[in-house]
Amino acid sequence: MTTSDRPDARDGASRSGASGDVVELSIPVRADLVVLARLTAATVASRSSFDVEEIEDLRLAVDELCVSLVGEGSEGRLALRFVRGDEDIEVSCTYHPDSGQDGAATDVTSDGLSARILDALVDEHGMDGGDGRQRIWLRKRRARSQT
Amino acid sequence: MDELFEISEDVSDRACVVTVAGEVDVASAPTLRSRLEAAIDRGTPLVVVDLLSVTFIDSTGLGVLIGASKRVDNSGGTMHLVVTEPRILKLFEITGLMDLFSIVPSVEQAVGP
Repeated sequence: MTTSDRPDARDGASRSGASGDVVELSIPVRADLVVLARLTAATVASRSSFDVEEIEDLRLAVDELCVSLVGEGSEGRLALRFVRGDEDIEVSCTYHPDSGQDGAATDVTSDGLSARILDALVDEHGMDGGDGRQRIWLRKRRARSQT
Repeated sequence: MDELFEISEDVSDRACVVTVAGEVDVASAPTLRSRLEAAIDRGTPLVVVDLLSVTFIDSTGLGVLIGASKRVDNSGGTMHLVVTEPRILKLFEITGLMDLFSIVPSVEQAVGP
């Protein structure tokens, strides 16, 4: 389930071709602003013809991407990137720490409640990083595209 | 954005019913934790957490409920969760928590006759 080296997941722009498009959201690392990530996830999924259950799945999954990065004294910004494909949505969440802050994040995709939630709700998820930044990503396909 | 979350308590000799409404996430979980701890520390034999009006809960919310369950166990009490919303039940199922909690469909059933 967990993969960290998929080229298209590393750079959503690579799959933002003819039918894909990209929505980006940058928010301060604050617990009370994670709701904006959820709202954006729900809106993007709705505009991508996901059904109600899939929209709720993506809303929760995106929340789980964010929760590891807030509430533990982190300071900086979260950059969320939603890439709409023909049959799926890829979402990445990158932590950009303020100068002097640790860029490390808990790998919620590999253990614990968040991992179980992501395993159940999305098709792929993983974590990668570099240059002091960490990035968590997921991919969810529309059910109708799986038949 | 606190309007997305509300919590209240109804205390009797037998039970403390904590009613939660709205979204339980990383922003509201600390409030839920402190209110549940206070409710448990009242020492009533039964703590009921009414989640019927909860519209969203994530891993941080589940973590708070797990902590509350352990606190109740340590105090020798009993805790019931009231849940009927399929999406919330699904979350308990996919995280393997159905066996950890006593989940009932109504406050009346949780409190008993």
